[in-house]
Amino acid sequence: MKRWVALPLVMLVLVAGWWLWPSPPGSPDASGQTQSVTRFLSGEEAAEGYARITGPEALEFPRDHGAHPGYRHEWWYITGQLETAQGRHFGYQITFFRFNLDPDAPERTSDWGTNQVWMAHLGLTDTDGGRFHHRERFSRGGDIGLAGAAVDPFRVWLDDWRLDGAAGPDIMPLRLQAADDGLALDLHLDALKPLVLQGEAGYSQKGPDPGNASRYFSYTRLATDGELILDGERFRVSGLSWMDREWGSSVLSEGQTGWNWFSLQLDDQTEIMYYILRLDDGAIAPRSKGLFVAADGSSQVLQTQDVELEETRHWDSPLGDARYPVAWRLRIPSRDLQLEIEAVLDDQELRTGFRYWEGAVRIRGARDGEPVAGGGYAELTGYAE
Amino acid sequence: MLRASLRYLLRHPWQLALSLLGVALGVAVVVAVDLANQSAGQAFNLSAQSLTGRTTHQVLGGPQGIPESWYVELRTRHGVRQAAPVIEGEARLAGQPGRSLRLLGVDPLAEGQFRESFGGLAGEQPLIRLMSQPDQLALLDADLAELGLAPGDRIRLELAGREHDLNVAAALRPERELDARGLRDVAVMDIGAAQELLGRAGWLDRVDLMLESEAQVEQLRGLLPADAQLLEAEARNAALQQMTRAFQLNLTAFSLLALMVGAFLIFNTMTFSVVQRRQLLGLLRAVGVTRGQIFGLVIFEALLIGLLGTLAGIALGLAISHVLLDLVGRTINDLYFMLSISELALSPWSLAKGLLLGVGMTLVAALSPALEATGTPPRAALSRAVLEQGVRARLPWLAGAGLILVSLGVGLLALVGGLVPAFAGLFLMILGWALVVPLAMCWLVRLLAPLLGRLAGLPGRMAARGVEAGLSRTSIAAAALMVAVSAVVGVGTMVDSFRATFSQWLDATLRADVYVSVPGNGALLPEAVEALIETDGVAYWSTARYGRVGSGEQRHRLRVFHLPATAEDAFRFRSGDPEAAWSAFRDGDAVFVTEPFAYHQQLQVGDTLLLATPEGERPFQVAAVVYDYSTSEGAVMMSRETYDRLWDDPIVNSVGLYGPPGTDADALVQRLRQRTGDMQPLRYRSNLELRRLSLQVFDQTFTITQVLRMLAMLVAVVGVLSALMALALERAREYAVMRATGFTPGQIQGLIVGQNALVGGIAGLLALPLGLALSAALILVINQRSFGWTMQVQVSAEVLLQAGALALLAAVLAGLYPAWRMSRTSPALALREDAA
Repeated sequence: MKRWVALPLVMLVLVAGWWLWPSPPGSPDASGQTQSVTRFLSGEEAAEGYARITGPEALEFPRDHGAHPGYRHEWWYITGQLETAQGRHFGYQITFFRFNLDPDAPERTSDWGTNQVWMAHLGLTDTDGGRFHHRERFSRGGDIGLAGAAVDPFRVWLDDWRLDGAAGPDIMPLRLQAADDGLALDLHLDALKPLVLQGEAGYSQKGPDPGNASRYFSYTRLATDGELILDGERFRVSGLSWMDREWGSSVLSEGQTGWNWFSLQLDDQTEIMYYILRLDDGAIAPRSKGLFVAADGSSQVLQTQDVELEETRHWDSPLGDARYPVAWRLRIPSRDLQLEIEAVLDDQELRTGFRYWEGAVRIRGARDGEPVAGGGYAELTGYAE
Repeated sequence: MLRASLRYLLRHPWQLALSLLGVALGVAVVVAVDLANQSAGQAFNLSAQSLTGRTTHQVLGGPQGIPESWYVELRTRHGVRQAAPVIEGEARLAGQPGRSLRLLGVDPLAEGQFRESFGGLAGEQPLIRLMSQPDQLALLDADLAELGLAPGDRIRLELAGREHDLNVAAALRPERELDARGLRDVAVMDIGAAQELLGRAGWLDRVDLMLESEAQVEQLRGLLPADAQLLEAEARNAALQQMTRAFQLNLTAFSLLALMVGAFLIFNTMTFSVVQRRQLLGLLRAVGVTRGQIFGLVIFEALLIGLLGTLAGIALGLAISHVLLDLVGRTINDLYFMLSISELALSPWSLAKGLLLGVGMTLVAALSPALEATGTPPRAALSRAVLEQGVRARLPWLAGAGLILVSLGVGLLALVGGLVPAFAGLFLMILGWALVVPLAMCWLVRLLAPLLGRLAGLPGRMAARGVEAGLSRTSIAAAALMVAVSAVVGVGTMVDSFRATFSQWLDATLRADVYVSVPGNGALLPEAVEALIETDGVAYWSTARYGRVGSGEQRHRLRVFHLPATAEDAFRFRSGDPEAAWSAFRDGDAVFVTEPFAYHQQLQVGDTLLLATPEGERPFQVAAVVYDYSTSEGAVMMSRETYDRLWDDPIVNSVGLYGPPGTDADALVQRLRQRTGDMQPLRYRSNLELRRLSLQVFDQTFTITQVLRMLAMLVAVVGVLSALMALALERAREYAVMRATGFTPGQIQGLIVGQNALVGGIAGLLALPLGLALSAALILVINQRSFGWTMQVQVSAEVLLQAGALALLAAVLAGLYPAWRMSRTSPALALREDAA
């Protein structure tokens, strides 16, 4: 899940602009900031001072459900498909991001002094209402307790957005509470399958250098039910969610323009994660890959050559300068699987400082000649600007 | 006709120049004071706007502030997100003693839309550095440029007595020009760094909020810690600014005094010019010029002088306003709050006010001479004697009116509350007494004539008669001089009285041999306190804790004292029974309040005062009102025992150490220093030193009053010069006749100087009762109402003698030039000139 790395860091610098207002164009600080971001993201030398992930390592729970502050970035990421009893469909996304901004930060006596910054995104797709809502929050981490992650019992929070779980190695079930300005989620999530390790036993290599990697595991099928409030209207909902956990210190390589990432949950009790990294020349980077999770919870890595992905429809952002794919045909010949993937709503673009598209998709297709269906999420970056 | 008028003015350049100067000085003082006041107000508003931003409400805590955990709960448990924590402090630029920075510790990520004034940040990853490193700050671009610094440079700041080498992480670049001015001398830091540098870990000074609805306000109110307040940001700013109102009003009144003296000058000049041209005016009437035209002519002349003088005055006022601005800023910083006034607010309204006042005063002053001019009958060449007789006939009426005005003024001062009526009363008193001057002078001269005759023979008698004979002019000059001298006496006596009272109070209050505190009024470490009180030669000790405590919508200064019984007499009671008061203070929930506090809050012994404590709002009985001259805002005093029962706050801000009788304070300081070592940077002040420093601040505060006093004096001297010189010049013909009849030049000189000395002396004499009355009004009424302080009236012979000498000197100086000129001119020429 390389997809997020650039996004939050850029967002973070934009938050500087948000608090500290945009500087006049052409002033030295504007370029200074951009440069420093580029450097910050450009992999190797900027990752100096941070803890590194260099190979497979045994994960330990509940410790690894908590934060790993020595690494540059980390996230707790949940997406899901929800439906009311009457069949009204919603997609939702909540992500808690943690960043270490300064590996050389000294010990501090004030609880406010910290190198940890947190960001959270909340997105809600009102499929039938044809509207997409999103919210964003920032806070510092550290001992002050405004945002953080802890175990025994498990919890991740930023202000009053919170994800709480059980004590002990198994954090399930989870409760997610997030409310903001006309929008509220209160959901219970329970794992239908155990967590799966992505890549090589959780070691997800992103570039040729072995240190260019992250630790990555997922809960691909979480039974979900609870309540959501939209514009004062209260809905009882249930459905399926997906949770990703990932941390690391360096990811990007040169020459990438963006990525397309999918999490797909099928009604035959299987799930697929797949991402492609798009290069400047339109080609797909060789490190693109995915994971297939079988009904019994066993999983297999998908390589680029295993998967055919074809864009079948596009949508133009109302801002006019970005054209996103919003429908795809995905084929995995080795598994005799063909899926038609389509956004539940074309406009699920987050038009914040850093623009990207993140939205719920619906799936129709066939495996071994039998029809399959399902839902999922797609994320598309690097189309605007 | 206008040309005749111009020619007349130009033919008397001295007279013209001096009246111009008089108006100019008067207007200059008014404009300068107004500009200084406006600038202070604008600086406050700009800084308040920039630093308050969109904040609608603020949560303020008790003496310690607000626990940071309350803020965290507010966000994480109650979902209140439009909230921003703030730590405030003061930092001094190392190596630049006069310059302070206002330190603002904020959480950049919580700031959100609160203060857009902070604008763009220039620097290398400023946000990241601010938050993660303990030594980073951001400063306004313009301030950095002035200091010769850029992002990435180091800056040495003194905080709480310790010097720190900090890094300029960023330059603040506000979008709006107004913010660029409002943020002058503000250093923005991350809240964590600010807590560490100011020793405030765990606490916040306030939480800023943006609340949009009454429901949100109510929600917040329900969540407040027991000793915290939720205040509207605007109301709080207004209350802060209100504190300086009395001070600024006083300045304005003093400046109007200067203008009033200036108006006397105009009156003098115009009357004189009318009197001198009676023949010409009579001639004009004879050839058919109407009364209205004559009136217009005189008014036109006055307008011309008023306009020119006012314009010059505005220019001069702009020039001296910089000096005044500096003084006003220093006083506000010493007495009220930190304010950086870096620029003059050139409000067109200030200038227009100066123009209106200057020209308006001139016209009003010229009204009576203009009316008199219209009274000139055609062809009349009334002899001076007839004219003077007319004037003399009016004297009793004038004096009667004057006495009525004086009693009206006294009535206003004594019977009507408020500051503005008090000042109006003051001005009525001055005006009224000035009207009494001619009659008083007439009597005095008659009284003195025989005496002078015996002392100086014929010239002595002639001088006395000359004064009486020229009463229409001499009396005006004397009145102008009298007004100025009385102002000098009044203000001088007021300052002297205040200083004497303050100094006596210091003697009574400063009982410990050595006082120890942390620079910047931080907290003393508990181990430091222990070391101090255990030092050899310390017999008793006292502690003090300073802070603020909420009470309804207000925030009062709170002083918490632990006092040894022997130090009890450091408090002097204005009211309250000492024995009962002390026992209630120590054992019951009773407090003392200072005199200004009792005045502002209208409290008396036995009343109750509600204070917000950690156990909620509680009533405290006022056991005594004590004298205190340290703050005009006033303060509540509480015993440490009472405080500790209610607050969980061990902090001590200052310790007083008492040795046995005959303790050598310097030696004790030596031992204390050794004992505390490097625990904490501490400030040791011996009793004497603290006293000296306090008086120094006092004197600094009154510098501005002294400056205004000098300016009023200057206006007066100019006025007297102008009036008496004109008088002497007018008599050129008389003197020429005297020369022709055998008087020597020396005798003429003596006569002129003697006459002027007589006028000066009489003016000085008449100024004394008014001056003393003014000082009484200032001390007993105006200061009381402005600041709430009782002072003992202290009349020093020095001030009185100084004033008398000033009057004499000014008058004599005014005689020197005409005397010199008279003695040099040949009588024949003078006779011819006058006839021409």
